[in-house]
Amino acid sequence: MITRAMKLYETKLKRRSLILGGLQGTLAMGLAARLYFLQVEEGRQYQKLSDRNKYDFRIIPPSRGRIKDIAGRLLAGNAEAYELSITPQYIHNLKETLVQLSMLIDLTDDEIKAFIEEANASPSFLPIPIRADLTQREVARIAVRSPELPGVNFERVEKRIYPQGILGGHLTGYVNRATADEVETGVITRELANLSTGKSGVEKAFERQLRGYPGRERILVNAVGRPIRTAVDERPKSGADLNLTINMDDQLFAIETLKKGQKKPLSLTSPRVKRTLETDDELAKILADGQSTAFEDEKGRVVPPETGSVVVLDIKTGEVKTLVSSPTFDPNLFSGRLSSRDWNMLMENPRTPLLDRSLSGQYSPGSTFKMVVALAALEAGVINEKTSFHCEGHRTVGNQDFHCWLKDGHGQVNVLNAIEQSCDVFFYEIGLKVGIKRIAEMARKLGLGEKTGISIPGEKQGLIPSKDWKMATHGRSWTLGETVNASIGQGYVLTTPLQLAVMTARLANGKQAITPRLTTSELGGQDFEPLDISPAALKVIQRSMRRVMNGPKGTARRSDLSDIGVPMAGKTGTVQVRAISKAEREEGVIDNMDRQWKFRDHALFVSYAPYDNPRYAIAVVVEHGGGGSSTAAPIASAVMRKLLKESG
Amino acid sequence: MPSPRPINAMAHPLSEAPSILQRLQRVPWLVILISLILSAIGVGALYSAAAGSWTPWAGQHLIRIGIGLVLMVIVASIPIWYYRKIAPLGWVAALLILASLEFIGGGIGVKRWLYIGGFNLQPSEPAKLAVIMLLAAYFHTINPELLRSIRVYIPAAIIAIIPFAQVLLQPDLGTSVMLLGSGAAVIFVAGMPLWMILGVFGLLVLAAPVIWSFLYDYQKDRILIFLNPGADQLGAGYQITQSKIALGSGGIFGKGYLQGSQSRLNYLPEKQTDFVFTMIGEEFGYFGALFILGLYIIMVTLLLRLSLMLNYRFSRLLVTGIATMMFLYVFVNVAMVTGMIPVVGAPLPMISYGGTALLTVFIAMGLVISAVIYDQDGAD
Repeated sequence: MITRAMKLYETKLKRRSLILGGLQGTLAMGLAARLYFLQVEEGRQYQKLSDRNKYDFRIIPPSRGRIKDIAGRLLAGNAEAYELSITPQYIHNLKETLVQLSMLIDLTDDEIKAFIEEANASPSFLPIPIRADLTQREVARIAVRSPELPGVNFERVEKRIYPQGILGGHLTGYVNRATADEVETGVITRELANLSTGKSGVEKAFERQLRGYPGRERILVNAVGRPIRTAVDERPKSGADLNLTINMDDQLFAIETLKKGQKKPLSLTSPRVKRTLETDDELAKILADGQSTAFEDEKGRVVPPETGSVVVLDIKTGEVKTLVSSPTFDPNLFSGRLSSRDWNMLMENPRTPLLDRSLSGQYSPGSTFKMVVALAALEAGVINEKTSFHCEGHRTVGNQDFHCWLKDGHGQVNVLNAIEQSCDVFFYEIGLKVGIKRIAEMARKLGLGEKTGISIPGEKQGLIPSKDWKMATHGRSWTLGETVNASIGQGYVLTTPLQLAVMTARLANGKQAITPRLTTSELGGQDFEPLDISPAALKVIQRSMRRVMNGPKGTARRSDLSDIGVPMAGKTGTVQVRAISKAEREEGVIDNMDRQWKFRDHALFVSYAPYDNPRYAIAVVVEHGGGGSSTAAPIASAVMRKLLKESG
Repeated sequence: MPSPRPINAMAHPLSEAPSILQRLQRVPWLVILISLILSAIGVGALYSAAAGSWTPWAGQHLIRIGIGLVLMVIVASIPIWYYRKIAPLGWVAALLILASLEFIGGGIGVKRWLYIGGFNLQPSEPAKLAVIMLLAAYFHTINPELLRSIRVYIPAAIIAIIPFAQVLLQPDLGTSVMLLGSGAAVIFVAGMPLWMILGVFGLLVLAAPVIWSFLYDYQKDRILIFLNPGADQLGAGYQITQSKIALGSGGIFGKGYLQGSQSRLNYLPEKQTDFVFTMIGEEFGYFGALFILGLYIIMVTLLLRLSLMLNYRFSRLLVTGIATMMFLYVFVNVAMVTGMIPVVGAPLPMISYGGTALLTVFIAMGLVISAVIYDQDGAD
C-alpha cells in the first residue's frame, strides 16, 4: 500500500519536474527569439542608432568667396565674429542664466521664452545659439563674467562684412540665414540650412560660386555629449572669389556726382539745415540714413541729395563700369540682425532706398527714345537724312493736339536737327509714318523691352508696347495718338537705366548687340550677336547725337568734353510725370522747380564717348531732377571726364 | 498510518557507505565545468567593461571565484542530510539578518546591503537558498497522501512569503520575485494539486492592485516605462533604450571584443552588473549571446536531470529549487535587458560583478554536489 503510494508519488514528482523543465525551456526559447528579433531582424536599425550615439556628424561651413572690384578692392569679405551659445546641461537654472545674459546683451523676454522652449525640445548637451554676431564690447562684458555663467560659450564663426558699406549697396547685395523657402526650393540643402545665402545683388546672383563646398567632421561623443575626439572626413572648399568689372573709385565718383546734381552741398550741422530738419519731416526721413548730406538748390532751399541712377558700360565688352542707384542701403545692416530701428529708417525713407533703380526702376525714356524712332524710319526708308518736316509747335492728330516742347516750333527740321534740338513734332510725323510695329522692332534690337541679362537678380524688362499688347492688356485697339506719344518715348514706353545704357552702347558699337557683364569671369569669348542695323542709318544717328553736344542748338552743348579733347555724343530727355492741362498751358506752365518734388520732370541723358572712337556708354536718370540738359547731362559729362581722363 | 518517513529509506535499504573515490566519481563534473566557464567569461566581460583593465572589476571577480570554489568544496564535503536538519535554523537566521537591514543596512535609497569585514553582502541572495532549503526539508517530511490537504501549504506559504515581503520592502522587486519563484517551484514539484495552483494564481490576479499600492514610486515608474518604453528616452526609459540599441547594434557577429561602443562610451549603464549580458551581446553579437544562454540552459537542464536521479526527497526538491533559482536569475536578467520585462535589478549569475550572488551560486553548487555524492548513503 505504502509502496504503491510512494511509486505514485515518485511518478508525480518526475512529471512535475518535467513540466517545470518544459516551462523553463519554453521561456528560454522566448529569450532566444527575442534576441534574434533585436540582433538579427532589427540589427541594422539599431546599428544606425548606435552610430548616432557614437558620432556627432558636423558640417564644417565653407568660407564664402570674396567680392572685389576690378582693382582688387574688397567689396564683400569675411570677418571673425563670435557666436554666443549656451549648453543647457551645464546650466542649473536656464531662465536665470538667460536673464543674467540679458543684462549684458540685449535679449527680449520673448527671445528668452523662445530659447527655453528650444532647450526643452532638444537634448541638453546640444548648444543653443543665442546671438550670431556679438560686438567686441559684448564679448568682453560676457568674458569677464564667465565664471558666473557656466555653460555659456563663444564659438568663432565667420561673419559677412561689406567694407565699402553703403557704396556696395544694391551691387553686392547682402547675405542672411537661409530661409525655409530656400531649403524647400533647393537653393540650399537642408544640412547647410545654418549657412547664410545671398539675398540680393551679386551675393544672390553668384550664390553657387561664392558658397563653396562644406566639409564634414565626425566627433566621437560619449553618453553625456562630451567630445572625445574629432576626425575631419572632408575639408571644406572655400567659395570662389569674384572680381567685378566695376571700379569702386568710379562708382564712388558717380554716386557723389549724382547726389550733388546741380546743387551746393551743405553741412548737416549748419544751423540752417538743423532748423529745416525740425520742420521738414520728409527731409529728416531721407537724411536718416546718416550717410547723406543736405544740399541747397538753385532757389536757395535746403533739399536732400538727388535720386536716380548712373550706369556706365564698356561699349565693346559690355563690362559694367558703374552701376549706381541712389539712395541705397548699407548691406552690413542686413548681414546681421537687422534692428527694427534700421528697418524702419529704410522703410520710412520716401525715396525707397531698397529699390535698385539701375535695373528695377522703370522710366519713360522720353526724348532718349528718339534715336530708336529715327533709326526705324531710316531703316524702313520712310525718311532719309534730308527728309524734313515743318514744326509749328504742335501737331494735330484726329481731334487731339500734340505739342512740341518749344511752344513756337522749330520750323523746318530734318533728322539731324530734330535730334540736336529734340524737336517733338518731327518725331510725331515720322512715328506716324513708320508705325508702332517697326518702332517696337527697332527698340528690341537695341535692347529695350526685354531683360538685358545682367547677372543681378530682380531686373525689370521695361515695356515696349505693341498693338497686340494693347489689346491683350487693355482690351482696346491701338490708337494713332498712342503712336504719337510713343514716338517721343512717353505713353506706355518704359525703360530701365541699364537698358538705356545698353541701347546707347549698341548705337555706339554699331556692330554687336552687346549685353552687360558684371564679373571678369563672364568676360572672354565675345559671343555677342550681330546688331543687324544698317551702318549708314546708324551713322546718321551717331552724327545727330554728336550735334546734341556740339551743334549750335544742341540741347547738351554745355556738357561736351572738347576741353579735354573728348568729343561726346548724347541725347537729353526730359520726361513729364504728369499731363499738363490745357488751362495750365494757357496760363503758362508752372516752373518745374516750383512744383512739388514728385510732380517735377525726370531728367535723363544718354551718351557715349569719345565720339570718333567710342569706349563708354552712359545713362543717367535723375528722378524729378528737372531738365535732361540741365541736370542729367552735366552728371554724365563729369563721370565721362573722370573715366576717360583716367584711362588716358 | 505510519508517520512520514523519507522515501529513500524504503526504496534503498541501508548499505555500506561508499569510499571517497566512489563519491568523487559521482561528482557532477560537467555542471562544475560549465560554472567555471561562465565564471571565466565573467572575468573576460568585466575586463572589457573596464575598457581593458583588471581593475576595478575583473581582478576582484577572479578572487571571488577562488573564494567561491573554496566555499563550494567545504559545503560539498558536508553530507546533505545535515543541511536538512539545519534548514530551519538557516531560515530563521536569514529572517533575522533581513530584518536587521532595516537598522544597519546600506544602499542608495534602498536597504539591501550589509557591510561585514570590508565586504558588501546582500543577504537577500543567500535568503533564496534558505527558503528553498527549508521548503525542501518541510516537504521531505510530508506524507504524500496529505499533499491534497490545504493545511499542508499554510506553513509552506509562511516559509516563502515572510522573506519575500522583507526583500520586496527593501525594496528589491527582482530578488523578491526570484525568491518567490524558486520557492513556488519547490512547492509545485513537491506535488501541490493543480486546482490549488490555479486558485493561487487567481488570488494573485485579484491581489495585483493591492501589491501595486505597496510598490515604491520608482518601481511603479519602471513598470509603467516597461509598458511604454519610448515615452521617456532621456529619462527613466534611457537604460532600456540604450540596452536595446547596444544589443541590436551588435548584430549577428558583434562588434568585437573590447569594441562595444555603447559600453565604451558609457551609453550603457550598469554594464558591469545587471547589463553585462548586453555588453556581451554588443561585442559578440547574436551568436555570443546565444552561446552564453546555451551554457545556462545546459546547466539548468543538467541540474533538473540530476534531481530526477536522486533518491533522497530533500535533495531532489533542493536541487529542483536550485535549478529554478539559476533559471530565474538568467531569465529575469536577460528578459530585463532585452526589454521584455521591466527593469527590476537582477544579476547574471557568475558573470555579473557582485560578490554575494556569485558566492550564493557557488554555495548552491556545493549543495548540489553534496546532494549527489551523499545520495545513496541513506543516513537518515
